[in-house]
This record gives sequence, C-alpha cells and structure tokens, in this order.
Amino acid sequence: MNVAFARRPAVLTVEADDAFVTLDGVTKVFGNGKRSTTALENVSLELNQGEFVCILGASGCGKSTLLSLIAGLDKVTSGTIHIADGRPAVMFQEPALLPWLTVRRNVELPMRIHGTDTDARNQRVNHLLSMVGLIDFADHRPHQLSGGMRQRCALARALAQESELLLMDEPFAALDALTRDQLHDDLNRIWQETGKTIIFVTHNVREAVRLGDRVVLMTPRPGRVAQMWDVEITRPRELDSFEVSGLAHEITMRLRAGAVSNGAE
Amino acid sequence: MERNRFQRILSAAWPRFLAVGILLGIWQLLVVIGVQSPGQEPLPGPGDAIGEIGYLAHIGVLFPALFQTLERAAVGYVLALVLGTLVGLAVVRVPVLRAGIGSLLAGLQSLPSVVWVPIAAVFLAIGGQVEYAVYFVVIMGAFPSIAMGLMSAYDNVPPLTFSLARSMGARGPGYYRHFIFSAALPGYVAGMKQGWAFSWRSLMAAELIIGSTANAGLGQILDNGRSLTDLPEILAAMLMILIVGIAVNDVIFAPMERGLLRRRGLVPA
Ligand SMILES: Nc1ncnc2c1ncn2[C@@H]1O[C@H](COP(=O)(O)OP(=O)(O)O)[C@@H](O)[C@H]1O
Ligand SMILES: [Mg+2]
Repeated sequence: MNVAFARRPAVLTVEADDAFVTLDGVTKVFGNGKRSTTALENVSLELNQGEFVCILGASGCGKSTLLSLIAGLDKVTSGTIHIADGRPAVMFQEPALLPWLTVRRNVELPMRIHGTDTDARNQRVNHLLSMVGLIDFADHRPHQLSGGMRQRCALARALAQESELLLMDEPFAALDALTRDQLHDDLNRIWQETGKTIIFVTHNVREAVRLGDRVVLMTPRPGRVAQMWDVEITRPRELDSFEVSGLAHEITMRLRAGAVSNGAE
Repeated sequence: MERNRFQRILSAAWPRFLAVGILLGIWQLLVVIGVQSPGQEPLPGPGDAIGEIGYLAHIGVLFPALFQTLERAAVGYVLALVLGTLVGLAVVRVPVLRAGIGSLLAGLQSLPSVVWVPIAAVFLAIGGQVEYAVYFVVIMGAFPSIAMGLMSAYDNVPPLTFSLARSMGARGPGYYRHFIFSAALPGYVAGMKQGWAFSWRSLMAAELIIGSTANAGLGQILDNGRSLTDLPEILAAMLMILIVGIAVNDVIFAPMERGLLRRRGLVPA
C-alpha cells in the first residue's frame, strides 16, 4: 500500500517537463542575518495534471509559505517553481469572503475581474453554486452563513477562477468534525468531476490520507520534505475505514520518529 | 410592515427624546432658580428661545439665515471632502508623503479652527465679500479629519484582502474598485462623518467672527444677539445651530454608516 519513494532519478528530465507543477530546490528565508528564519529548505516536488497531493506537517513547518510561493504571492529565496498553466486559484485557511458582497457576488468576483460577459458569468455561477450546494443561499451575505457554508462559498469562488491548479491551505481546519467529513466528500466528488490538480495543505494525518493521491510529509525548522506515500485506497474513502486508519497510523509513527530525531533525515 | 417600520423608528427615537427632555429640564431648572447675567438680565427659558425662533421666522430673518448657512456648509464641506480625499489618497499611495504629511495632518486636526479665521479675514474677506474666507476656514477645519479617516481606513484593510486580490490577479482599477475601496469604505464614511462635525464647528466660528450684514447666517444671528445683549436671540440661534448639527448627522451620516455596517454583519440587523 505504501510506496515510500525518494526523488525520482535525474535521468527522467523528459518526464520532468511533462509535470504540471515542478518545484526544484525551493528555499525560503525570511529576514536576514541573525534574525533570519529558514522556512523552507531545498523542497523539490513534481505534480502531474489532475493529481491530488496533500502536504502534511505540524504547524510552523512552512506549509503556508510553500503555498504562497506557488501562488506567486511571495518570492523564493532560491530554487525554481514552474507551473504549466497560468495562475493558481487559492483557498485560504479563513474563507476570506468579502463581507460587503452576497454569496453570488463573491463567487463571480474572479470572473468580473477578468471581464467574463454577463450571460456566461451567471450561468457559470449558478453551476458552481449548485455544485457546492449553496444555490439556495446565493443572495445571503457571508455573515449569514455557517463556517462550513463559508468554506463552500470560498471553494466555489476558487473554482470560478478557471485555473487548472487549486491550492488549499488548511481550509477545513476550523470546522467541526461532522461538517469537515461532509466537505471531504464534496471536495472528493468535485475533484473527480472537474479534474483539477490540487495541492491541499493540512496538519491532520487522516484528512491527508482520506483525500490525497499522494501524501507529502514535511518536517519543521527548516521545512523539508521528509517522506512521501502514494495512497492507493479506492475512492470514495471513509475517514474511519481500515485502510485509511492503517496508513494514517504508519504516517503518524513516522512523524513521531521525525520529531524525536529533530526532523533530521 | 408599515406599522413595524413606525414602531422601529419610535423605539429608536425615544432615548433621544429622553435626552432632549433632560437637557430642557436642566435648562428650565436654571431659569426657575433665577440665574441672571451680571447686568441683571434673567436667563430665558426653553419656551422663550423657541418663541424667539418663531419670531425670527415671522420677521423673515430665520430662513434666509438658515439657508445661507446651509449653503455655506454644503459648499465648504464638499470642497473639504474633495481636498481631504485627494490628500488622503496621495498619502496612502506615496510612501514618502506618509511620514511627513501623516503627522502634519494629525497636528492640523487638533488645531482649533478659529485659529484660521484672522488670516482668512485679512486675505480673503475683501469689500464685504466673506464667502471665500468662510469656505477657507471650513476647508481647513474639516479636510484633515477626512484625509486621516481615509488613511486609517486603508491601514485597516485586512492583509488577507490584499493577498486575495493578488491571488485573483486583480490589478489597476479593478483592484481598487472591487477590493481596496470597498474594504475601506466604512472607515472612510466614519471620517466623512467626523469631517462634517468639524466643518460645522468651523463654519460657526467663521460666521461669528467674520460678520457680514448682507448675507447673515446663523452665526451672525448669534453675534447680533450678543452685541444687542438680546439673550432670547442668542439662545434661539444656539438652539438652531444645535438642531442643524444633529439633523445633518441623523439624516445623512448615521443612516449611511449604519447601512454599510449592517450589510457587512457588523451591527445587529
Ligand atoms: N512573513 C514572515 N516573516 C517571517 N517569518 C515568517 C513569515 N511567514 C512565516 N514565517 C516563519 O516561517 C515558518 C513557517 O511558517 P508557515 O509557512 O506559516 O508554517 P505553517 O503554515 O506550516 O504553519 C515559521 O517559523 C514562521 O514563523
Ligand atoms: Mg499555515
């Protein structure tokens, strides 16, 4: 079940060109001199189109930093990031909905910015709102929604950006377990329907195993890739199924071992 | 529905009636205990002042003065709004300006607006023509708080809003229209509201001091009352000035602010 694999050998340059997202030796240092923090050190990663990759790590190990680098919101200190197709859509840990806009307006915002014409926009917004189950709440404002609904709205907005790559930074961390479970199901379905490539950041081992094609474990200070697992459990997965629990347990053991040896590889 | 609306207005209004009632009660009490000026003039009561307002209206003094003052207030305030907004935008957009002008604005804001009156009177009130001098005082009194309001509104836009805008690839006018201005709007309106309070005070200082018999405003009625030691006239003018200040706030600014905040879920609906 687990194929713990190191980086692929350098022979496969052709395959590297085929990758949808390529991170090569990405290092990020905040500040300089004595007060500097190395948030990420030499992170290399390749994603194929349509892949669902979960990046797993304790808080402070550079997950958010990694996402904002991929999103182009911050610059790498060294290394390169290459994305085959345009600007990624981002879902933040907080829903980040604009409180002065209705649900519908929030979702159509990326299309407004890029000048999509009204008919196409309305049609697409209705489609997306149905997809995330918010069509009946289109005219509500964010403060009238529950936490789970806000994240659904944020998901619809991210999908409205029509980017092939979706970056998600612990989007369900603040939700209760039941709501989170439902959103896992929905995200799994939406991913299968849309064929997006997803990088999903989490500190929750089971969440990573439940959702990902691949789980990438990071260790903190400096943030590094410790190990990867291919998850070959058939979908849709259950959070408390035997297979999910088994792999989650194995990853947790590895995480503990890493903590004891202070993250050294 | 209609009844509901009426009830809502009533329930919102009664604390205000209560406050006005208390104020009038204290005033009446001072009259009853026989407060006098050193020149043995008794303090007129609320009834006298309201009667005097009626009299001033009857002899055709009140409404021309009221409209004159409102016109000055409106023109002066709009000019202050334009200047304050431009200065605020410049300070927000140009980092070099922020350090210098930012603290200067705070200083100007704390400067009492009467301080501007003498210089305005000397340079701008030429040949009985007082309008420019009055506008100048109003603008100087009001624009710093409008600019400061815009500045702090911009500073309080959550960093996540900037990240969101950038992650969606918003740039240029769309970036400002969809994200920054909308996010900063409540703070800007708060600055506008404060700017109104400042411009109303400045206008009264200007009218009171730069007198003009030709185009008398409420401030000149007040000044006229003082020079004739006509206490009812003084109190009538004071009452009118207070009423206008409250009315503009309640009719224009307070609903604007409340509507904005309610839509964002920042006050109970
Ligand atoms: N803007 C910043 N300036 C300085 N240090 C930062 C900044 N952002 C993150 N860091 C540091 O980088 C490390 C990784 O942070 P982050 O990416 O937020 O971790 P995670 O998302 O995994 O919890 C932390 O030690 C944090 O203190
Ligand atoms: Mg984080």
